[in-house]
Amino acid sequence: MSTVLVTMMPFWADKLGAPRTVGVEFPFGHPLGQPGDRETQLAVIRAALSLLEEARGPGEVRELDYVWPQPLDEAKRDWQPLEPSPIIKMLLERRRAAREQQQGGS
Amino acid sequence: MPVDSFKFLPGSIAAYYRNLPVQREEPVPFTSLTKPLSRCRFALVTTAGIYHEGKEPPFDAEREKREPMWGDPTFRRIPRDVPQEEIGASHLHTNNRDVLQDVNIALPVHRFAELEAEGVIGSLAATHYSFMGYQPETAEWRDRYGPECAALMKGEGVDCVLLTPS
Repeated sequence: MSTVLVTMMPFWADKLGAPRTVGVEFPFGHPLGQPGDRETQLAVIRAALSLLEEARGPGEVRELDYVWPQPLDEAKRDWQPLEPSPIIKMLLERRRAAREQQQGGS
Repeated sequence: MPVDSFKFLPGSIAAYYRNLPVQREEPVPFTSLTKPLSRCRFALVTTAGIYHEGKEPPFDAEREKREPMWGDPTFRRIPRDVPQEEIGASHLHTNNRDVLQDVNIALPVHRFAELEAEGVIGSLAATHYSFMGYQPETAEWRDRYGPECAALMKGEGVDCVLLTPS
């Protein structure tokens, strides 16, 4: 089966090696764009289909130049879960415990 | 314009990811397209952690909460004509609001049905696939669930796959 990847992290696709990659500068969770934005969704899909047809060997990466319409600060917050994921919670608790221990020992 | 892969990440996480050592797997696989797109059957795969509500269970978020270094490695099947209101989401690392509003931002089944109707692609398979992208350990994906998913696609005569890690 022939595959094509659409990713927000072409850096990783390039480093790890993927058959065909389309890179988009979109927030996580949104490889095809915003909800309801049929036009951008189709444009990204058509770019992926073109690469599928045109790539002659592994590792080709094409980056699209769509600009995410939200202000950066808002976009950075918006894709993240409302409460921290379990791993982030665990790391925050560990950091807090280490800090308390340090303070207690000094 | 080169895409900044770290643009939307908090600074400390971006620095961590940027410097993570990775092993490139050589040779990079590549399967040539042997016929025009207008004769190819497509399947779609996302890692958005979505599932077909009422038909299949959510991903095991409860175990992940107990064991933060574990991510559910199984996958769920999403039919091509799934109504938006039957999409559920159990990904603890993203805000699921947008995908619950429009599945096509991560698994564009409805857009591909339109491309099928236009004759751009040959056909869209009956079944599509959703994984949950938080996977500290990927051995089970590689050794079990990836091959299982590929076998199901082959059973439906799939030629091409669009992968959209989320």
